[in-house]
Formats: sequence, structure tokens, C-alpha cells
Amino acid sequence: MSEPVLRIEGLTKRFGGLVAVDHVSLALAPRRLHAIIGPNGAGKTTLFNLVCGFLSVDAGRVFFAGRDIGGLEPHQISRLGIARTLQIKSVFNRLSVEENIWIAAHARNRFLHPLRSAAKDRATRERVERVLEEVGLSALAQHAAGTLSYGDIALLEIGIALAQEPQLLLLDEPICGMSPAETGRTVAKIRQLAARVDIVIIEHDMEVVFEIADDITVMAQGAVLASGAPDVIARDERVREAYLGQPDDEDFTQPAHA
Amino acid sequence: MMRAKIERVLLSAFGAFLLAVPWLVPAIADRFWVSVITEILIWSLFAASVNLLFGYVGLLSFGQALFFGCGMYGVAIGIAKLGLGFWPALGLGVACSAAMALVAGVFAVRLTWHYFAIITLVFSLIFYFLALTLKQLTGGDDGTSFTLPATFRLGAMELSLADKTFQYFFMLATVASCFLVMHRLTASPLGRALAAIRENDTRAALIGLNVYMLRLAAFVISGVLAGLAGALFAFFGRYASATYMFYHVSGEAVVWTIVGGAGTLLGPLIGTSLFIVVREVVSTRWEHHGLIVGVVAILIVIFAPRGIVGLWRDMLERLVRRP
Repeated sequence: MSEPVLRIEGLTKRFGGLVAVDHVSLALAPRRLHAIIGPNGAGKTTLFNLVCGFLSVDAGRVFFAGRDIGGLEPHQISRLGIARTLQIKSVFNRLSVEENIWIAAHARNRFLHPLRSAAKDRATRERVERVLEEVGLSALAQHAAGTLSYGDIALLEIGIALAQEPQLLLLDEPICGMSPAETGRTVAKIRQLAARVDIVIIEHDMEVVFEIADDITVMAQGAVLASGAPDVIARDERVREAYLGQPDDEDFTQPAHA
Repeated sequence: MMRAKIERVLLSAFGAFLLAVPWLVPAIADRFWVSVITEILIWSLFAASVNLLFGYVGLLSFGQALFFGCGMYGVAIGIAKLGLGFWPALGLGVACSAAMALVAGVFAVRLTWHYFAIITLVFSLIFYFLALTLKQLTGGDDGTSFTLPATFRLGAMELSLADKTFQYFFMLATVASCFLVMHRLTASPLGRALAAIRENDTRAALIGLNVYMLRLAAFVISGVLAGLAGALFAFFGRYASATYMFYHVSGEAVVWTIVGGAGTLLGPLIGTSLFIVVREVVSTRWEHHGLIVGVVAILIVIFAPRGIVGLWRDMLERLVRRP
């Protein structure tokens, strides 16, 4: 088996008395679309926060493409090739859609020229146009990001992540709050992306998860409950008890982040 | 398109006015106003340093007077105590403010919002009292005065700021170059990165921007601009005083910037002009001109949060759209 794109060993995070992530170990094989599911408070987003460097790790290690990324700053981890979207949509509100993508595409340059005109950077501009087309936002390029609809902001966030040309994309509830039409479009997009980028997705919509995921990891109370192919997970008794058997009580109705 | 054209015409007219000031102003008013306009130019550069941090990076500094003071003392001490010439003294002033901004920035830019405002304020207060105490070096309450050295020497010909017209053009050229640099900066990759940090520092870090280093860079650039303004003001007044390091001076620049329009290139210039002109006109008849400043500031913050420039743009927008 080839080197896992993301290998997590005994990862633990405590918030006071609460163990949010409890000795989690995972190895995600490359070129597979992984989904992480689990009830609210299972530690999914905390796991992402540990991987991308927002939170410091209490115990355990994280390897990205064989490299230990523990203790690195978020911007350093980002430069290694991990991009992520946030559960509460997060873009640069007062910048135009185009500028949002532009800065993401340009941020990898260590040197940010203080006096040259940004608009004249042709290489970056071409990449920006490609990304805009890919996420279908070309028509809205000049609009301020904060004025977009919720679904378009979610797409822009994916566009920002893509502009970084990452190896690994962490998507935290990318379709949460989208209309059915937007959901369909976004799911198709994610599936298409999975052909060239490794993706880990946190998602509550079971229909979507079982439709697109190659592998599913189920978390509950900070620990990994089960991990495997969708049909294996669907048949797993513990998962049924802990998760699938429950009524659909997800209360994620975050307001559009305007 | 129309809007851009109107603004370009107005800017050209404004530029022409600035170039004609030494001849035009004595002809239509008093020669004294040339001095006032020179002072406005210097203070608008100082306000621009606040604007760079607040308007373009989202950091509200209440300590810019510290760097202004460093620029002033660098020049005054350089000339009076070290016997430096014009340019080395100017360089010393700017270098002092840059070094001070680096030291203060290392601590300050770890914080944001009110914490940042408070730490910059505290830093400037510490050095204000230090400057008052170190009488040997700074002259304490009395400040340090000096004799103007020549700016240029060509054979027997000497050009110094004692020549009011030359002084005016020297200040105009320096301040205008700084505004030009800021204009370039805000449209550059660095400027966009700073705007991204202003809008959303979490997202900025996630796309690989080193938020801390970029904020520090902006803080030092802003400190250098404030220091340069201080150095110019030292040359203008031929002295340096700790009074100009007091937080009151920082606060004035914040008010000028917000009233003029934070996050716009010329907002600080407009705000500064307004308040200094009001001060000059009113203070001869009424000592409480600060009241006017306060009322105008409150009205602007409530009714035109984007300042005078924002108000102007909205008006122009409506005017142009009208069929």
C-alpha cells in the first residue's frame, strides 16, 4: 500500500475535562474520497482543527504525505498543500469574488511585492479565471463576496481552497444550508475534484455521504467508532446504535455569514 | 466611467492648486495660510499612517504619536547633539521610528481590536513619560530646538527650509511621494494580502498567509510614515518636543482619518485639512474649537460611517445614475 496522504496516530485533544478527540488513529489512503460522520459533538471539526493547525495537539501525531506536521502554524500547513473550508462559511467579505480567489492563488508566493500592480500579474490572473470557471462563479467575479447567496459563498470557499492547488482538501459540511439545486451542483463538483485531489469531507447529509464517499469513518464522543467502505459501515451494528438509528436531529442551521 | 472622470478632473485641479499655493494663496488671502497648508500636508501624512493600519489592515493604533515623536527627536537630537547635516538627520529620524515600530510591533501585532488599541496606547505613554524624564537627551518639557542645516549646497549657493517656498515644495514633494507609494501599495499583492487579513484573518492564515509577519510589516511601514511626518514637522518647527508624543496627538489622527474616510487614499488628507482649517479659523475668536471637532466627528461616525470620502462617493453615484 502506498503512503497514506494523512496518517493520524493517537491524536488527543482535551478542553478542560472534556476529551474532544480521544486517541484517534486514522490512515487515509490517497485518491479516495473520505467522509467523516458522527453525531454533533463527536469531535469531527476538532479533528480538522488539529490537522490544520488551529488547535495545538495534546497527544499524538499527524503526518501529511509522510511528514510530521505537528506544531506547525496554520499558514505553514497550508503551504504544504492542505486546504480547508470551514463549517461557518468564511470568505473575505468586502473583497470581490475575483480578489478572494486571487489572494488565495497568490498567497503561496513567499514574496508579496509591495509596489507592483496586482492586476498586472498575468499568471495569477489566468489561474483565477480557471478557478472561477471551475466553481461557476465567473459571472459574479466583480461582486463583493459578502453580497453573495449562501450557496455561492460556499462555492466561493471551495474556489478559494482550489486556488491554493492543494494536495489535500478538508471540507467541513460544504453543502450545509444549500438549496437542493445547489447541493446537486456542489456534490457533482466534489466528485469531479476527487479525481485529482485527496478529499476528506465532514457531512451530515447521509444520502450525500453514501453517494460520494469511498471510505467512511464514524466518530462518536471523540473516538473512532468504525471505519470502512460505505456498505460495511451501513451494516455495522455499533454505528447503527450510535448514529444511524437515531432520528434525524441535526440542528445545523447556521445563518449565512454575510 | 463618468465617476472616474469627474474624480480625475477634481484631482488634477487639486494638484494644480497645490502647485500654485506659494503664489496663489498670498494673492487671495494671507501668506500665513501657506504655512498652514504646509502643516496640513505634514499632519495628513501622519493621519495616513493611521489609515494604513486601520483602513487597510484593520488595526486601530492609538500610539502613532510615539513614532511621530521618534522621527522628531531623531532629527532634533541628530542636528543639535550629534551635529548631523540635513539628510543624515532625516535618515536618523526615520530609522529611529522604524526601530521603535519594530520593537512595539513585535508585541502589539499579536493582538487585535481593542487589545491592540490599548497596547499601542500604553507603549506610547511609556515612551512619552520616558522622553519627559530623560532631560539630558530630549530637553524634557522644553524640548530640543536646533538651527536648520542647509538641504542642498551648490557651490556657494545654499538651499534650506528657511526659504518658505522651498520649504513648502519640499514638504509637498515628500508627502506626495508617500501618498503615491501608499497608492501603489494598496493595489499590490502585499496590499491585497493585507486587505485579506483585515477582512478575515482566520481565512488568511488558512490560505497560507503569515498573518503575524504581514501585520508586523504593515506596522513598521506605518511607523516609518508616522516617523517621516514627525521628522518633517521637526524641520518645520525647528524643534522636537515630547508634547507631540502624547496620546492626544495619536487620537487626533484617528479622528481625522475616520472623518475623512478610513480605507481611502485621500480620506486622511481631507479630514486633516478640515480640522486644521477649522482650528485656524475658529481659534482666533473662540477657544473651544475642540467642540466643533467633537460634534463633526460624532455626526460623521453616525451618519457617514465611511467618512467624507464615502459620503462624496455616494453622492456622485446618485448624481451619475440620475437619467
